[in-house]
Amino acid sequence: MRHEKNIAESRATRGSTADTVASMSILQVRNLKVSYAASGPQILKGIDFAVDGEDFCAVIGPSGAGKSTLIRCINRLVEPTEGDIVLFGQSVRPLRGSELRHLRRRIGMIFQEFNLVNRMSVMDNVLSGRLGYTGAFRSFFKAFPREDIDRALHLLERVGLQDHVDKRADALSGGQRQRVGIARALMQKPEILLLDEPTSALDPKISRDVMRLIRELATEFKVPVLCNIHDVQLALESCNRIIGMQDGYKKFDGPSKGMRKQDLDEIYAMEVL
Amino acid sequence: MALASLQSIPAAPRRWSRYRHPQSTIRFAVLLAVLTFLAWSVAFLNVDLLRILGAFPRLAEILATRYFPPDLNYVSDADFIRSVIRTLEMSLLGGFFGVVFSIPLAWLAARNITFSRRIAYPLGRFAIMGSRSIHETIWTILFVTVLGFGMLAGTLALTVFCIGFAGKLFSDELEAIDMGPVDAMRSVGASPLQVFQYAVLPQVRVAFTGIAIYTWDVAFRAATVVGFFGGGGMGWYLKRTTQQLESTRVAAILLVIIALVLIAEIGSGWLRRRISRMR
Repeated sequence: MRHEKNIAESRATRGSTADTVASMSILQVRNLKVSYAASGPQILKGIDFAVDGEDFCAVIGPSGAGKSTLIRCINRLVEPTEGDIVLFGQSVRPLRGSELRHLRRRIGMIFQEFNLVNRMSVMDNVLSGRLGYTGAFRSFFKAFPREDIDRALHLLERVGLQDHVDKRADALSGGQRQRVGIARALMQKPEILLLDEPTSALDPKISRDVMRLIRELATEFKVPVLCNIHDVQLALESCNRIIGMQDGYKKFDGPSKGMRKQDLDEIYAMEVL
Repeated sequence: MALASLQSIPAAPRRWSRYRHPQSTIRFAVLLAVLTFLAWSVAFLNVDLLRILGAFPRLAEILATRYFPPDLNYVSDADFIRSVIRTLEMSLLGGFFGVVFSIPLAWLAARNITFSRRIAYPLGRFAIMGSRSIHETIWTILFVTVLGFGMLAGTLALTVFCIGFAGKLFSDELEAIDMGPVDAMRSVGASPLQVFQYAVLPQVRVAFTGIAIYTWDVAFRAATVVGFFGGGGMGWYLKRTTQQLESTRVAAILLVIIALVLIAEIGSGWLRRRISRMR
């Protein structure tokens, strides 16, 4: 019963989205709590923040702080246990089935381990970003519309992989694979990008190249970014806003320019080696 | 900070032994109990180990006197050869339908990608375990009593057998996939069917092909027997000749079965090796 009521409410809010979205944040997270098992430890212990249209927002914090869980809650790869997530003026938690899929296709996601399908070509990996918009019949025969194919080719050129279109994904290097992941996420024409440790599997130089590319593309397509990142230096360089997390709590929230040494020390105070 | 945490590591315990009281004692007690049960079974069943040794010379003698020479004329008869082809057809049909039906069942029965762990998972598991737990000869007897003698009963029995056999291997394979691509496809808003086709199938396609060939190989071996219980194919000839005590004919049929199974096994092994290289 409660779910039905929530869905009804979310439908009602979606109706009025157009008038209110300009004045509201793209993403609002309120009192978010997560525990993976009913009796298990709480990973997130009440997180609040909002992301605006212009933000390139980094989530930093020591291992085990709950950064990945936080990012994955937003497109419901992880189910929150308490609290509220409002994305594009629509409550995320009550969504089911096709409603959830329709929301997810507006959210681009880039992963730490790239999560490409290794035995598929680079082109098919990029095209699979359109699956949310592709009907069952077309996707079964891999018959993507001409405009999707053109967009895929354009994006592959944009990320510098125009010579690798027909290679298998596992024939590429780490940095190249992440570029495929970026192109796949941009295929969705996302209205927000979630990055889950996009550079942790890459070496320092390539990490910087990849972050610069993401930054450029996010500005070009005017997409706000919520990025969870391990490398503090890289976060300070490439993001304009920092959310610091520690042990399931938010410890810092502000522009990256205003961040002081003692703020960092506080966030990482609990890190044990 | 780092120094403080180094100091807080507790000092190593002074005494160390590989064997710890409750775990090791339980492990040895269980091993002892199993061995005792084996020894008791041998004693209780009155198994005479020397008679087992004596069985081999007797077997050789009987084979030499009664089963030799095999009646090769009998197995070159057109009717018999037709029954061999029927057996091959049954194994192909049973293997094909078994594989086709077991893929969706394996999907339900794979814990990581099933639709719902409370309903679909136990259903899929139950269907596969049910097909497996009953031997193919008993399936044959069941289908023969319902449908009457012939190929239909045998093919159905083989189908059920293959569902159990391939379903188990398929679902094990599905449970071992990398969930990363599955997460990625879910997060672009793909439907469950699209997730299966784009994120799951590419990871298991090669293994599934190998398993399908292996399933046919095993189904062919089972197909030689279903005829024994009225399921059609060459098994019926085996039953008739054994009951008529036509030992030389039985010998010929057994030789044919051995030859065919060997050919099937070598062929499927060769194919599976070729396919596994395509990874």
